[in-house]
Amino acid sequence: MAAPQPESKFIELKPFSDEMIVSMGPQHPSTHGVLRLELKLDGEIVRDAIPHIGYLHRCFEKHSENLNYQQIIPFTDRMDYIAAMNMNWGFCLAVEELLATDEKKFSGVPERGEYLRVLIGELNRIGSHLLSFGTYGMDLGAFTPFLYAFRDREKILLLFEKICGARLTYNYIRVGGVSRDTPPGFIDEVKEFIDYFEPQIDKYNALLTANRIFIERTAKVAVMDTEMAINYGVTGPNLRGAGLQWDLRRDEPYSIYDRFDFDVPVGKDIPELGVVAGDCWNRYKVRMDEMKQSIQIIRQILESGLPNGPIQAEMKAVRPPKGEIFSRSEAPRGELGFYIVSDGTPKPVRLKAKSPCFTALSALQELSRGLMVADIIAIIGSIDIVMGEVDR
Amino acid sequence: MRHYLSNIYLGVYTALVGMRITFKQLLQPSVTHQYPYDRSFEQKKNIREIPKGYRGKLHNRIEDCIGCKKCEMICPVDCITIATQKLPKGERLWDSMNVVHLKDRTEIVGNIEGAEKPAPNTAVTIQTRDNRTVAVASEEIANVVERKPVIFYLDQFDIDMSLCMYCGLCTEVCPTECLIMFDNLSDGIEYSTFDRTDLIYEFAKPEMYEQPTDESTEAEAAD
Repeated sequence: MAAPQPESKFIELKPFSDEMIVSMGPQHPSTHGVLRLELKLDGEIVRDAIPHIGYLHRCFEKHSENLNYQQIIPFTDRMDYIAAMNMNWGFCLAVEELLATDEKKFSGVPERGEYLRVLIGELNRIGSHLLSFGTYGMDLGAFTPFLYAFRDREKILLLFEKICGARLTYNYIRVGGVSRDTPPGFIDEVKEFIDYFEPQIDKYNALLTANRIFIERTAKVAVMDTEMAINYGVTGPNLRGAGLQWDLRRDEPYSIYDRFDFDVPVGKDIPELGVVAGDCWNRYKVRMDEMKQSIQIIRQILESGLPNGPIQAEMKAVRPPKGEIFSRSEAPRGELGFYIVSDGTPKPVRLKAKSPCFTALSALQELSRGLMVADIIAIIGSIDIVMGEVDR
Repeated sequence: MRHYLSNIYLGVYTALVGMRITFKQLLQPSVTHQYPYDRSFEQKKNIREIPKGYRGKLHNRIEDCIGCKKCEMICPVDCITIATQKLPKGERLWDSMNVVHLKDRTEIVGNIEGAEKPAPNTAVTIQTRDNRTVAVASEEIANVVERKPVIFYLDQFDIDMSLCMYCGLCTEVCPTECLIMFDNLSDGIEYSTFDRTDLIYEFAKPEMYEQPTDESTEAEAAD
């Protein structure tokens, strides 16, 4: 199935037709930020839906050309603000890969730093999926899961506040390590949280995932098969929800992910529930299952214990050698890529961020054709976009 | 028809399963704090304690600032403005104070009497700015920030907190650790104003240099 080419940028109406154009957003509570959808409606059937983006554009890429590598890290926080740790990490990985091309400049991240990165990154993945789960329930009319999800996310944010000093824009992971060591008692608190949180996921599954009304609302809606997902470049939980088992943490392990044992959950056809792989329900369910896998990774870290040693590699200044790099990492919403061109100065010549939300949003137009207006809400929630990352 | 009826049954049944979970939650204590009105959580310290090392409002202990401008350079949003005048070569105003980090994550600002790097198994006395003497054992000390000579007059040290993005990079590069971020509720977080210009904090104190008596005593104390 090839992606259809839209004839023009804006929708054109035939005169005297029954169709009409409705602008959904940018101030719509269910568009998860400032997304404007131009809907061409025939009654309640959506004939076409064109996303208009750019309301949250902050010139991250151009701005980065005037900043040092250290100074760019706080700006990556503001891309995907739900999972800012993973954004920091993705950027630092790219800079470290670029630094590693010259062996004299960089000898690798210390063990303790790597362990802390994985611990924090997986905690942030749980926090991000919790927000996705909570708001998805609220979009579809279930208010209670939202409150439960935010209550539990608050516990993660408190942990982050203790380790890095901020609730949302962490600026924690640095080139060559992390910025602060764990405060006393932090590991016990993480363990306490994990022990509390693991049974909660089953509760949430009983509350929302298995709810028949929720299943009726999301099953077989906007089916994205594997081929379409690959054609659009969709990654992350949306791709895995379509049925393809692809996770960078397992298939191209970066950092120390090859030391941990975890499954990659994928979407499946379940006839008794009436769901098919690649529909909204499966995309949602993959996130719920991924939280369990993240807990499993954190448990393995806690069992082996954090190694002692430095948290930050010894380096004078971040000054990568001349060259270019494209590095990718598995953020909660998909593969986050950073393309950096360096000319040997402390500032990048060009920086490009490949956002997973942007590619997921590009599939919205094809997914939503022929469905009802109410299903648009279900699709946007299920592909789980953050406009801060789409627009950058 | 059978499918339709079973759907209704399942819809009611799964909703009741969810209701059971919410009913159990109903019997548990509430986690919400009515924050601006109910401030009892500060005393109880149960859930919403502001942790140590929180990145709140910036503050500069101007007496210890050596005017190196490292914070101005690292700031990604240029919210710090510094203007300095260099003293004649070889002269200095005074030395900045030591910052002693203890292992229980408390900090003491003051001059260590004697050697800056204390020998093990000794009692260390620290003279703070308000002339208090604090004694700690050298085992409790995690690290000590060394004294640096102040060789600049600071004419201007402004921080525009309306621009600040709270990344904390400036506090990390500060060589004397005089630039700090408050990590308590009253100083670090609750400082909203009605006028945006009130958020520009001017830390430079020119009168610091004008009193010759104070300067000489400070210089003596530093020596």
